[in-house]
Amino acid sequence: MKVALSVNGARHYVDVPLNATLLSVLRDDLGLTGTRYGCGRGQCGACYVIADSRAVASCLITADQAARMEITTIEGLGKDSRLHPVQQAFIDEDAMQCGYCTSGMVISAAALLGHDPNPDETSIRDALAGNLCRCGVYGRAIRAVLKAASPS
Amino acid sequence: MWDHRNPERLEQRIRVERDGSVTALSGKVEFGQGIRTAFTQIVADELDVAIERVNVVLGDTDQVPFDFGTFGSHSVAQETPLLRKAAAFARHQLLDRASVKLGLPREKLDTEAGAVVGGGKRLPYADLLDSEPLAGVIPDRVSVMPETRRKYSGRPMSHVEARDIVTGRATFVADVRLEGMVRGAMVRPPARGAKLRSLDDSAAKAMPGVIAVVRAGDVVGVVAERDEQARAAAAAVDAEWHAIPVEGPTAEVPMRSDAGVDAKLRGAPVRLAQTYVLPPISSAPIGPSAAVADVRASGATMYVGTHRPFGVREQIAKTLGLPEKKVRVVPQITSGTYGRNSSADAAIEAAILSKGSGRPVLLQWTREEEFAWSPSRPEAVLEISAGLDAEGRIVAWRYDEHTNVHTAAGLDPQVLGVTSGRNAIPPYAKFPAKVTLHIEPTRLRTANFRSLAAAENVFAIESFMDELADLAAQDPVQFRLRHITDDRFRRVVERVAERSGWRERADGRRGRGFACTVYHGTYVAQVAEVEVSLAGAVRLVKVWCVVDPGQTLNPEGVRNQIEGGIQQSASWTLREELLHRDGQVMNTGWDTYPIATFRDAPESIEVFVEGDETAPPTGVGEPGAVPTAAAIANAVYAASRARLRSVPLTRERVRKAMAG
Repeated sequence: MKVALSVNGARHYVDVPLNATLLSVLRDDLGLTGTRYGCGRGQCGACYVIADSRAVASCLITADQAARMEITTIEGLGKDSRLHPVQQAFIDEDAMQCGYCTSGMVISAAALLGHDPNPDETSIRDALAGNLCRCGVYGRAIRAVLKAASPS
Repeated sequence: MWDHRNPERLEQRIRVERDGSVTALSGKVEFGQGIRTAFTQIVADELDVAIERVNVVLGDTDQVPFDFGTFGSHSVAQETPLLRKAAAFARHQLLDRASVKLGLPREKLDTEAGAVVGGGKRLPYADLLDSEPLAGVIPDRVSVMPETRRKYSGRPMSHVEARDIVTGRATFVADVRLEGMVRGAMVRPPARGAKLRSLDDSAAKAMPGVIAVVRAGDVVGVVAERDEQARAAAAAVDAEWHAIPVEGPTAEVPMRSDAGVDAKLRGAPVRLAQTYVLPPISSAPIGPSAAVADVRASGATMYVGTHRPFGVREQIAKTLGLPEKKVRVVPQITSGTYGRNSSADAAIEAAILSKGSGRPVLLQWTREEEFAWSPSRPEAVLEISAGLDAEGRIVAWRYDEHTNVHTAAGLDPQVLGVTSGRNAIPPYAKFPAKVTLHIEPTRLRTANFRSLAAAENVFAIESFMDELADLAAQDPVQFRLRHITDDRFRRVVERVAERSGWRERADGRRGRGFACTVYHGTYVAQVAEVEVSLAGAVRLVKVWCVVDPGQTLNPEGVRNQIEGGIQQSASWTLREELLHRDGQVMNTGWDTYPIATFRDAPESIEVFVEGDETAPPTGVGEPGAVPTAAAIANAVYAASRARLRSVPLTRERVRKAMAG
């Protein structure tokens, strides 16, 4: 099946099986491996991308469904010369260990700040509740998002 | 085991490259524990170069010196002095060369930001390599940089990989992309160790994208152009299996057998006996196992996540029938796996698929496969009895640890004692004790998990210490202090009591609990505050921790590791239980194996790094996780008078204990 996708501001044309998920197209056809596979069931948040301003699990939507959306992946969130404030805050707060879940967390936080530039701690916990981390950096990630929301 | 008997050569450790950048080599592997950052700091300091100019290569078996593996929080302690010495030796060689080149005595020369300076001249390191690369046997004694000249070691620093991680550029195992690479999927048997009886792959072979159905003994898998195609075809393979139960080993190890323990127990005026129970838990990495294998006639290259690259090289060579020198293992950064990656299963499977299809193959396990087929932390039943004298001092101690084997390191009693029996001997003043480790068989596949048996043993010992304190009508912290003779241990206990305001009682439905331990030379003491609802729901509110890991290279890295250990251990304690029937794991995803989420994270985890700078550095990857379960259970007792001797501390369990 031929699909036209809008990813990180560019149009991409791919020919993929009918059941191909957005996740597998990003990773295997477009080489955007920063979006990670974690569970394939939308339970862990590692594969989150921003679709029309909302954070969604790219393992749960097909490439065909994604064709109607503007997709932003971790690679498209900031520029190397100027990172997204959430990315910078995650570095500054050392809010990571292995880093496998980081892409998804940063995406959720960026989507949150897109809707609510000044979230309180509870809103941050709620917005990132779908992002599992096993290394245990939740506290640092909350601090990073608070910092990104009010850079001073 | 950790000895380096042969003197090391500089070229195995440090390369100054043509562009003046520095490559440092280590057989250790990064799992998010921050060793790359720590090694980068040391090498930058000793060679006097900017930290951005240091590249640390970890675990590439074609480049790094042999290494037994990255276990037991040893990496920093073991590698730091070696890398420091190597880098210092490289700097001395550069100074010697500059001295000849400039015709100036050594004493007139110094280094500064990647160059030798002196006599008004400045020679970048790159200009000192024209004759030959730096090389030679690293002498026993090498003078190192004075502490005052260290710019990076001892300072807080974010992970050096941080920028690559937040931009998605970091290459995890499953992100490796090779020319002509295709995808694999395994055909799984109904149970571990099952033998293949018959195989019909005709339907699978006819499916779109399928390149090969590969069989090697009882291992069966499909190779296809795309992931979806490989999985669909694997499901279409018709395999018949003959299940043969596989059971873990049995052993009994007397770990301490002081005379007269039973008599002293019988004679003690106050006695207590309790049993503590921990279920098996899953290592449950967020990224399931993956491996990329590129097997050719000339040799094999393996991109893997592993704790022991040289061990994987040996296993892959054996699997493929190749000499070891024809196998190159290139460890990639990997999802934290907390010990699970000691097993090379995905790598072996990928190698078989690549050999069978003649293509480079990426094998990505699914979440279901990760729960079902990866090894787990064993269950444990800990029986303790102790006697107190009239002053409330322990006079006799009897401890029986019943568990399954924790590693594949063999059944040598000494090895079992320090692995499956880790921390079974209490860290307190020596009282007569009898400590026995009983390894019992299980059909569950068990293997290395963060801290091995220490988390289980310390849960039991520190819960029991709390119960003894209660029986002796003493404050739990004071009761421990009366049994501590080691000054460093005493200090972390006293400091965490100060830092947490231990004497202030928590209000209402809140309570505070204490626990401490010594893990591989790292001293750690924690206070947890919890809130227990009338229905028995436990909320972890705050944790305070004081840790003494000896000399501290990167305090921020230590804090991050200890915080993470506490958060992960809180998840084990409050939520996690692996369910299995005869070794068949029932949990299939995060819905049936829930772990702590952002909503469960405590309000704060305050970690105070108070290392004894005169003591050698010890590990911090594991110790943070060790006392947390007991601190939480003791806090639940303080809050609700419900004494929980089984984890996880589920609402049902707590409610029942509150009622009873």
